[in-house]
Amino acid sequence: MLRHTTRTMRSHAWLYVMILPVIAYFLIFVYYPLYQGAASSFQEFKLLGTAEWIGTENYLEVWQDGTFWQVVKNTLLIGGGILVFGFFPPIMVALALNEAATLLFKKLAQTTVYLPHLFSWVVIGGMWIFLLSPGGGLINELLALINVGPVRFLTNTTWARATMIGLPIWKDMGYAAIIYLASITSINPSLYEAARIDGASRFQQMYQITLPLLKPTMKVVFMLNILGLLRIFDQIFVMRNPVVQGGIDVIMTYVYDMGIQRYELGFASAISVMVLLTTLLLTAIVWRITGFGRDD
Amino acid sequence: MNDASQLEVPLGDKVLDRDTSGPAQREGNSDRLFQYGVMAFLVILMMMMIVPFWNVVAVAFSGPIASMARGIILWPREFSAEGFRIVWVNLNLQQAFINSVIVTTIGTVLHVALSCFAAYVLIQRNLPGKTIMLVFILATMAIPGELIMIPLYIVNKQLGLLNTLWALIFSGMISGFSILLLRNFFAGVPYDLAESAKIDGASDFRIFRSIYLPLSQAGIATIALFELVSRWNQFLPVILYINDSSKYTLQVALNALVTENLGTSGTSMVTPNVRMAGIVIAILPLVILYPFMQKYFVKGITLGSVKE
Repeated sequence: MLRHTTRTMRSHAWLYVMILPVIAYFLIFVYYPLYQGAASSFQEFKLLGTAEWIGTENYLEVWQDGTFWQVVKNTLLIGGGILVFGFFPPIMVALALNEAATLLFKKLAQTTVYLPHLFSWVVIGGMWIFLLSPGGGLINELLALINVGPVRFLTNTTWARATMIGLPIWKDMGYAAIIYLASITSINPSLYEAARIDGASRFQQMYQITLPLLKPTMKVVFMLNILGLLRIFDQIFVMRNPVVQGGIDVIMTYVYDMGIQRYELGFASAISVMVLLTTLLLTAIVWRITGFGRDD
Repeated sequence: MNDASQLEVPLGDKVLDRDTSGPAQREGNSDRLFQYGVMAFLVILMMMMIVPFWNVVAVAFSGPIASMARGIILWPREFSAEGFRIVWVNLNLQQAFINSVIVTTIGTVLHVALSCFAAYVLIQRNLPGKTIMLVFILATMAIPGELIMIPLYIVNKQLGLLNTLWALIFSGMISGFSILLLRNFFAGVPYDLAESAKIDGASDFRIFRSIYLPLSQAGIATIALFELVSRWNQFLPVILYINDSSKYTLQVALNALVTENLGTSGTSMVTPNVRMAGIVIAILPLVILYPFMQKYFVKGITLGSVKE
């Protein structure tokens, strides 16, 4: 038996060679860092020389750190805002795209709505810093037409938070809409046929057939968005400024600041470990609820 | 496109009156109204997406002084490409652009090649150790790169990769997501085909090259295009591993340029047309690529909704 296995393995030696880089890569850049991160969270790093084991001191420090709790609160506020307010727009977009009168118009609209998702947060953030500026930015100029403003979108904490919620919704609406659209396409056409015969209007068909059948997709998208909540980084990093930083900094930007800028690697690792454990727990729950990973 | 038929559409409470007037009548009119509503919604939506970019392009092509003036700019004022020259030559965005091209090209090629290799191995039947390897690879999908940025920084430091483009190429060089997606494509290739090739004496690698690769072009193109976009947009790894500004990629060089608060620094006065020119340069390659992506991106998103 064992000899047989060895022989099979030898005859497929090429296959093992092919997958070797992948295994090595994940060992070095995923699994080893996991160990390294866990270890660092119990260590203190010196600028020169090696790390020193200090037990759970980093975790205690994090726990007692006021800024940490502030960034947790910001993350929940901004992430939660994106989760809640960003839930319906993609569904509306997908339903509208599905109802578009001509295929050309649908394609055009779909292409356009997806466009911002294609670009980095540097591009989107840099662009909106300009558009939202109180001194001549497009949005404030438009608001001036109706005698509103100028609104300090990025230098007032409340407005800055709202902007941090609104922009990712604007940016990623088209992306999520395509997921919904794909799921709409898979709905059995005979359902609509039957509804038409019963005299249902297009709106009724949408409201009473399409929407309820999208529920499973809604669940999946919502669950996946929960996992994204703790990972918010780029948008805040790009758009923050010293005036509102305290109000919009999130966990990950704090980890970056503490770890990379201030070289408090142990402290930053302790936060990372806590966030990672939370994410793994959430992932397990999400997989259970949505039934992911069951097919493999 | 809307001729007199538009006039027939009743507005306001008249719609409600009509609604009770019989099935046939109700169907026609409310459907038409619904159609117009949908069209209006989509047109507004498209404007919300396009106008900001339009404004950026118009400012990028405006003169330096004109770009600072107040007012809505939807057409270049004092048309000039000066902003592009300043950002490309004087602010040396070209160096960062070249770095981005290098990292994107090498990174994407390696990503696609290694994902194909792994996916092919993982569809083999009766290969000893396959299940363990599969679990080993899939488990990495539960660990988002952002969350291990600090240990990744330490690891790159230990490997002496800091301040090299290799650190950027290695970052995200392989993902469980791509392997899984390609594996699904490969699984769609009839196994009998490989089996009969094997009987004819073809090696594993030969079967991979001559049967699986040609039959999975759509899948490979999907992976390649998505990787290309995410490589081009790569940001966090650059600010983690690179200090040396000569090794900055486009996104990070651009970040320094566009997020600087207007006029507050005093040391340098970068006018809006220059900043927006930088943004136009950063999005141009993706905009050019976009029409070719169209064919694949719906498939990629729906298959890959696991990724985000």
